[in-house]
Formats: sequence, structure tokens, C-alpha cells
Amino acid sequence: MVSLENHIKRVSDAIEHWLRPDNYLLKEAIDRTVNEGLFSFPDLKHRILTLKKSLRKNHLERWARISGLIPGSMNGKRVLCLHAGNLPLVGIQDLLAVLLTGGTYSGKMSRKDPYLLPTLIKSLYKYDLIENADWSTKLESLSGFKSDAVLFAGSKQSAEKVNEKLHSLNLAGSSTPRLMRTAHFSIAYIRDNQPETMENLTEAVFRYGGTGCRSVAVVVAPFFLNSQKCSFTDYVEAFWMKNPQHQKPSDSLFHRFAYNKGVGIEQAWLNDFLIEENVEKPIDHFILYWVKGGAKELEEIIKRYRDGLQSVYTTGELVGEDFRGYISEPLEEAQNPPIWWKPDGIDTIQWLQKQVDK
Amino acid sequence: MISHEFIFNEKLSFEERCNRVFRYQAKNNSVLKTFFEVYGLSSESELNPAEIPLLPIRAFKEKSLLCGGLKPKLVFKSSGTSGMERSTHPIANPDIYKTSIKTEFYRHFPPDYYALACYMPGYRDNPDSSLIWMAKHLIDDNTDGLNTFLPEEPNEFEAWKERAEKKGKKILLFGAAFGLMDLAEDQRYHFPENTDILETGGMKTYRREMTKSELRGSLSEGFGIKSEKIHSEYGMCELLSQMYALSGKWFTSPHWVHVSVRHADQPAKLCSPGEEGKIGIIDLANLHSCSFILTEDRGVMNQSGEFKVLGRWHPENRRGCNFLIDQEM
Repeated sequence: MVSLENHIKRVSDAIEHWLRPDNYLLKEAIDRTVNEGLFSFPDLKHRILTLKKSLRKNHLERWARISGLIPGSMNGKRVLCLHAGNLPLVGIQDLLAVLLTGGTYSGKMSRKDPYLLPTLIKSLYKYDLIENADWSTKLESLSGFKSDAVLFAGSKQSAEKVNEKLHSLNLAGSSTPRLMRTAHFSIAYIRDNQPETMENLTEAVFRYGGTGCRSVAVVVAPFFLNSQKCSFTDYVEAFWMKNPQHQKPSDSLFHRFAYNKGVGIEQAWLNDFLIEENVEKPIDHFILYWVKGGAKELEEIIKRYRDGLQSVYTTGELVGEDFRGYISEPLEEAQNPPIWWKPDGIDTIQWLQKQVDK
Repeated sequence: MISHEFIFNEKLSFEERCNRVFRYQAKNNSVLKTFFEVYGLSSESELNPAEIPLLPIRAFKEKSLLCGGLKPKLVFKSSGTSGMERSTHPIANPDIYKTSIKTEFYRHFPPDYYALACYMPGYRDNPDSSLIWMAKHLIDDNTDGLNTFLPEEPNEFEAWKERAEKKGKKILLFGAAFGLMDLAEDQRYHFPENTDILETGGMKTYRREMTKSELRGSLSEGFGIKSEKIHSEYGMCELLSQMYALSGKWFTSPHWVHVSVRHADQPAKLCSPGEEGKIGIIDLANLHSCSFILTEDRGVMNQSGEFKVLGRWHPENRRGCNFLIDQEM
């Protein structure tokens, strides 16, 4: 049996090979993704650069330590990963979790992101790390490969539909364990308006067009929006100069702006985004809720909207503090999470290993 | 105060009446004035009703929408479980509501034919309920004294039934949908087979949301009444008009109301017949508050302009990956 150290080294070598500047397969996949308008080049570049940092060997080793990884624990059991998301290479952590635990990977590639992840899979093949991997953008193509576990992000409404489809394609039975993540927004709690904080806040809110569960949808700050509107807009404009907004909002955003104006809600209209001094359940895209307050207001918001909340970010000495069960993460890591971060608070490696033990 | 009679004057086109209301509200309702101004509209604008932007209905939870200079004679509030914000609808002229109720209700359920029994247990705890006010008005307005809230004692109910029968009137049982569901399970009350039932939504407080056809099926079975005798009302505290769907057919609107179905992402755009969207309502009876309302109800319209209410509009989570899985499947 391969030792944990060697296993991680091989994975790390394969990732390094994949991320090499001369990997024409990845380069081609990036070009195609951009040319087909699936994601913007700046967002892709950001994603690749963050993965370069987060997938280093010592980071994989740390993840293994944190999660108590036992090499080969999945013993070839098949894990179906349904990749769907708003950011490029969504679900890469799931693929690596399956691989590190010695599971057999089946992947339903996202139709929105069909080119990038397969290039990593090809690198993993080269390093004999994946055998018999099955992947496709069509779930039907994977029909009949019954899984021992399923990983995906979904909502309560979508769960039934997903289960029916998996069942009808003989991909999972009713008792097959499923790890469904439902969180869809994050909160930033800031206490100053220093340039570093505001730049990190801008990145945390506007990267990937504000989509994705790690993107900030609610800011709790000690200032009224009105006092920060002009300076914050400058940060946003500077960000958009380098990272033009890839997707545009629908007319309903302007309708909301008109409504807010009518009922007197303080707001900042940024054409492609709306910041409003208000808070409600963050469902809509292209809206940032601004709340003047401190820890008390933050905890109240967490209490009210914890169903759907992914992370709470803070700065300085507040990092690591517990806010109603959420251990706050550094604001600057909102869009650069370490590989050991836990979507919906669950370590995927630990979860997979637990399913095997059952 | 602007006179309201023109609202109910069918000799005037809807467009003409609508523009009068638009001009009045764009001038006198501060929320609407600002809302319309963002769209470059003012009280001078002349518009096709479908072009008038509709104010999201949650405005009734955030602001008083009474036109300037008026004092409310009544205030209606929506029902709501604890923690829920309630809509507030100030009414400057209750006569408009009275006319609206009688004109449309009696068009579908003539007072000469029906003895009305109102059953609204949950709503009776809400003294500001527009539904209770409507029921009381229909009871008070009744000349033969038969219209009533459902007697609490079954014996009294039996006596009332006899009186109605002697006067040759059929029973119309009117109530919030899930109160009626509970009543159907109450074995003490027996309704004749020729009873008509008028349910008016009110699903918020019940155990789960049901489709209209499920509801009609349950009521029909529970009361032992044919499903074509079960009718629906679409109303809410934010509206001074009601719409009715008879025998499970599509909802029709009174001549002073215009209903449309709008794209959720493009509220100015009308959905094609058969296409689902948010229900938009222009209710001219809301003369002194806000007549131009975009609801959070999901609906669909047919070629004739009749509509169905399909439940609440449940927005998918557009931010995270959650809704994308649906597209991927």
C-alpha cells in the first residue's frame, strides 16, 4: 500500500503538472471557456492563481491532517460528484477528496464549465492516480454506474428532482449517502474603512460577479452606507476596471432601485449592482445588503438567515471568533479559501470516510 | 378628495379611468411619485395601462401608501404569524370598498339566490382583517337578515338552514380555504348537497401549501359536494377588489381591475398566454392608496385575459450553486 506521504506527493505532482504554464491542454481549455463566454478571463486567471497557492503539497498535507485522512479508506468505492456552479472549476475540492481517500470518481461536469476540470483529470491519469474515472457533461452518459456516495450543491427544492434522476438512471439508490450543500451567501463584518479592508471587501463582494456561496451578500459595518457610498464606489470601479462584470443584471434590479427610492431605502446604484442599506434573505443576484452595526447586529442577522449562510468573514483580531457557531474567517480569504475549508461546515474527506465506516 | 364614482363607470374606458387614477396618485402619493419619477414618469404622463410600472406589494409593509392630505377611516392589516411583517392598507373612503364588494360579489352570487354563511375562525382574531370587514358588510347589507357568520352551535346552524330553505335560498359557505378544510372534518355540521362553497385562499397559516385543484378535491370530498359547486376568490388586504373563479375555472376581474402576468426578471414585460410569471394588478378601487401593484403570487393567463393563481412565487437561489443543479439535471 502506498504511504499517505507518497500518495499526497503524487497528487501534488499531478496538480503541479496540470498548472504548468506550458500545459497546452489547460491553456486551450481556458481559451475555449473564455471564447464561449462561460467565464471572464480575469475570473479564470484569479481562480487558477488561487488554486496554485491552495493546492501546494504542504496544503494538501495539512488538509489530510485536519480531516484525519486514512489512505485508501474509500477502497475504490464509487463517488458521484455533480458539479454545478457559478465559479470556474467548481467542485475541484470534491474531486480531490475522492482521490485522496482512494475512491473511484464519477463526475457530472457542469455544462457551464465543461473544459477545465477534465484537463486536471487527464493529468491525474498520467500520474496513475485515477483509474476508470467516468465523467461527462450528461448525467445519462454515466447511467448504470451505481454510486456509493453522492456529492453536490443543491437546494431543498432541487433535492427531490436530483434524487429522482439519480434513481431513474440507476446511479444511486434511495439509501445511497448524499452530501448536499445548501449555503448560498456569506457575511462580512468589518470595523474600519482602511484601504486594505475596503479592497478586500470589494474582492469578497464582486469577484465572480457576486455569485457563489463564498461571495459576500451582507456587510455589517460601523458606518451608514451614505457615508461610505462615494469612497466604496471608487474601490468598486477600480475593481471593475481590472475585472469587468461578466454577467449583467436583469431589468428587475432597476425596478428594485426604483422601489427603494420610492420607499426611501438608502442605496447606491452601480448600474450592474445595487447596494442597499437594508437586509433581507439574500436570494437575489447583484445585490449587496449594507447594515450599520456591530457584533450584536451581526449575530441577529446570522440568527435570522443561518439557513443558507456559508461563512462569516472578519478582519484583524476578530478572525477566529465564534459568532453564533460560525468561526470567522479572514476577509481576504473569501475568494481564496484554503483547500481544507468546509463547505456548509462539513469536511468532505471526513464525511466520505464516515460513510465507509457505516 | 377626488370623487370616486368614475372608477365604477363602465361608460368610460378602462384606459381613461386608469390614467385619471395614475395622474392622481403620481401627484398625491409620495411613494408612487418618487417610484414613477425614476422611470421618467410624472402626473402629466399619458400611458397605456400596461406601460405603468407596478410597485412591489411589499411596499404595504414598509410605508403608508395613503395619498397626501387624507386621513384613514379604516386600516386593514394582513394576517401574519409571529415575526412576520404585516401589510397595512389605510382606507380613506370605505364607500369605495363597499361598492367594489357588492358589485362584483353580487354579480357572481346574487343576494336573491344565496344565504351566506361566513366561516373565518383564524381571521376573527385579526380585528383589522379586510376579509372580516367584507363579511360583516355582506351580513349587514343583507335585507332579509339571513347572512351570518356560521353559528357556533350546530343546533343554531340547523335552525338557520331551515330558515334559508323556507326562503328558497341556497347556502353559500364563504371562508378561508384551510378554515373550511377544518370545518369539513367537523362532523357536527351537515351542509346540503346544493351548497356552494367560496374559498378565499388563506393558506399561510396552514400546515402546507396546496394546489387549488388539491384543495378543491379535499373540500369536495370533505363536504360531500360536487366540485363544480366550489368556487374561489382571489383577494388580499392590499386590494379593495376581489376576483372570482367559478367551478374551478379561470379567475375573471371586475371591469375596474386589470390583471397581468409579468416576467419576474423583467417586470415591465408581459408574459405570453400560458407562460408563468408574477401577477400584476391595477386595482382602481385603491384610489387613495396604490392602484399599481406587483404581487409575489405566481400566475398564468389565458388568451382571454383570465388567470390562474398557482401559489407563491418562490425565487430560486440565484446567488449560490443551488439553483444551477436544476439546470444541470
